[in-house]
Amino acid sequence: MITTSKQAYLFFSTSLLLLTALTILFWGQLAEDWKTYQQAYLFQTNQPGQPAVQQIIPRLGPDGQPTPDASPELCLTCHMGLAEISPSHPVESFGCVICHRGTGLALDKEQAHAGLLPNPSDLAVAAESCGQDNCHGGYADPTRNHVDQVTRSLQATYAGGIAMIRYTFGVQKDLAASFGVVGGVDPNPLSDTVSSLTAYQPQQDALPMETQFAQNCLTGGCHLTTPPIEAPYFYRSTGCAACHVLYNNDGLYTGADPTIARDEPGHAATHQFTTAIPYTQCNHCHNRGNYSLRTMTFTPRPDLPPAGPPLSEMMPTEGRRLVEYYQPIGQFTLCEWELDCADCHTQAEVMGDGHFWPDQKTMQYIQCRTCHGTLTEPPTTVEITDAEDPALRLARLNDHYSLGMGDVVISTARGEKMGSVQLRGEQLVQFSQVDGQEYVVPPVMGSDCQQQPDEQESRYCHQCHAYQR
Amino acid sequence: MSFPTSPYPRKVRLWRKNKSFIYNLHPPQIPASSARFTYTFGLGGIAVLTAVLTTLTGLLLMFYYEPTLQGAHASLVLIDSVVYLGHFTRALHYWSAQVMVVAVILHIARIIFTAGYRPPRDVNWLIGLGLLVITLMWDFSGYVLCYDSDTIWALLVGTNLLKELPGVGHTLYLLVVGDQALGPSAILRFYTWHVFGLTLLGLGGIGYHIWRIRVDGGISRPVPTSGASRQFVPRETLFFRELITVLIVTGGLVLLSTLAPPPLGPPATLNRVGSDVVLAPWFFLAIQQLLRYVPPLWAGWIIPLAGLAFLALLPLLDRRGPGRGYWFAPERWRPQAAFGGLLLVIIVLSLLEWLR
Repeated sequence: MITTSKQAYLFFSTSLLLLTALTILFWGQLAEDWKTYQQAYLFQTNQPGQPAVQQIIPRLGPDGQPTPDASPELCLTCHMGLAEISPSHPVESFGCVICHRGTGLALDKEQAHAGLLPNPSDLAVAAESCGQDNCHGGYADPTRNHVDQVTRSLQATYAGGIAMIRYTFGVQKDLAASFGVVGGVDPNPLSDTVSSLTAYQPQQDALPMETQFAQNCLTGGCHLTTPPIEAPYFYRSTGCAACHVLYNNDGLYTGADPTIARDEPGHAATHQFTTAIPYTQCNHCHNRGNYSLRTMTFTPRPDLPPAGPPLSEMMPTEGRRLVEYYQPIGQFTLCEWELDCADCHTQAEVMGDGHFWPDQKTMQYIQCRTCHGTLTEPPTTVEITDAEDPALRLARLNDHYSLGMGDVVISTARGEKMGSVQLRGEQLVQFSQVDGQEYVVPPVMGSDCQQQPDEQESRYCHQCHAYQR
Repeated sequence: MSFPTSPYPRKVRLWRKNKSFIYNLHPPQIPASSARFTYTFGLGGIAVLTAVLTTLTGLLLMFYYEPTLQGAHASLVLIDSVVYLGHFTRALHYWSAQVMVVAVILHIARIIFTAGYRPPRDVNWLIGLGLLVITLMWDFSGYVLCYDSDTIWALLVGTNLLKELPGVGHTLYLLVVGDQALGPSAILRFYTWHVFGLTLLGLGGIGYHIWRIRVDGGISRPVPTSGASRQFVPRETLFFRELITVLIVTGGLVLLSTLAPPPLGPPATLNRVGSDVVLAPWFFLAIQQLLRYVPPLWAGWIIPLAGLAFLALLPLLDRRGPGRGYWFAPERWRPQAAFGGLLLVIIVLSLLEWLR
């Protein structure tokens, strides 16, 4: 049929077009993104093997079986090497989609990430992810509805700060809290909590200071609902992950997921939740600098990076944590910088108890005497007798101390049990929640202490026991 | 005793050119003017080729597609992600269908600009118009089977337009949707129409359309003038041209399917209808734009049907006279100008809607 050279040229050139198209197709098939990621992971971890689709069918049904509507998820095909979020959220049971949404069956990035919640614990969406029924919400026991509680906590509302600023500038007549970064209603307020907060939004005729305060201080940097300052030592997440997902000071990822750039700041250190929260994590927000009421701006600490010299150049070998912990503005006792913040500041204090507390001073109740007692009274201790005690749940989530039925622990003024401070024989022992180190807690009773019975606040203890900072 | 010598070689020959199906679809000799590539641009052939490609890839997709509310979108994600070459198969299905619509529209334009609708090809012209409608329905039903947040709109608006027909509207809606509102039965019905009803009508119609070309005396050509010698080309020549067209179109489609996979949005949720941007499939954008200005009965039925009626009446309005077989013959400027105007209005309305 091909009779002339022109026809032959036409035939071969058009055949070449088809062949080229098919070659591109199969070449693309070989170089699919997920295969590239897996090859990178296998190479990095020096593992043999060929790329293969990784499938999970979440098993959240009775007896650890998949529910009838369970759908396969292929997320780990690309995110191979991603650490399991926590032992209490095993990936083979939970999968990824129940928290992160997105399209579990897709391998194309755009399709897979359609509707994705990069941080399911962000308070804007946490009620539908972490806080969904039978997870961390929907229980009759309010102590298990963590998302509700956190959303009402001072870490989320900043109610006291807002009231203080408004009062300082004469916008309100007293220090009563009526606004929060997040608003809401508490149907069962306590005598010293408020029944509702209105979401703070300065009106159009507000003082310039109010607008500046809302723009500069409430939209970024601190508070659980707002993104962090994008700078070394400030990197963190939002919502639950702001505390429970650890960030390196440089904001770099150190896990094994090949899809996450290791040289791009702003990522969590690894994809892991923890209740062993070190002071460094708290310091991504706290003790990082000062606020100017005149300009409504934040000034980072001059003695620490990024404003100051690198940490290695100015940190003393001894007492480094004291220097790194706090700004040079006061006095602190040994336990305040030897322990980690989470060792003393309890779950209810930090994550809230479901009530709208008006300010930190009213809400915070851990004092020196909680663990050390007074000259006339030993610290209050209580035996764990209920298998459903929240203190037991907390202990199960932390590898650094154990707690069982019959153990005797500190009970706070509000009856919250501090499971990591336990009576061992005749001594009270504090177990570090971050590294498990044991500290004997010396009692005041029987010591040389000369404190007055009506002088129990920490500032009185600081007079003798403080280190200058 | 000896057997008579067979005239055929003893070897079994599986393929002989002169016994092949496609070869014998062509008449032995074709008038040179009809077979000229720049006369037809192979548009009818491209439409047939893309219909075949769409059908074959559709057959493959049927092994995985699940026509249920819960399964439709998920099965497409599965096809895209897990099935070997699934994303390519779906992309080729999609692009073949789009090219088919374009080819059919351009084919119709070619017929009008060369007066190919004149007798004795007037009946085949009407069949061709029927195939245009089937092609659009075929494509539309496939579009909504994606069942993502974009296509749910097309399904909602398209089916609601049925209700606008006076008298029979509600019955027609029940017939197409299978319920008082969009639900599981709607997707099953659209699927059945897509893979069976419209495919049967489409492929059957194409077969009849091609057969009618032979019956009506081949592809249109100028009326022979007395004394002029008539030139013919052998079917091998036409066959070769078709082969080259197939190679180019198939190569282009493979390339397009590899480099530009069709979109698939998040799964549709019927209770979220009303919160997303609405965009009809591209070939219905003009109707969507019209819906902004005129009542649905006019935009969705009367105006489109009037346009179709105009095309159907063309063989009656322009039956004979000079100009047949020539592109843009000035003797027949009226039907060409009318069609050109219609096409321009459709394009402008579509662009206005697309650029909104």
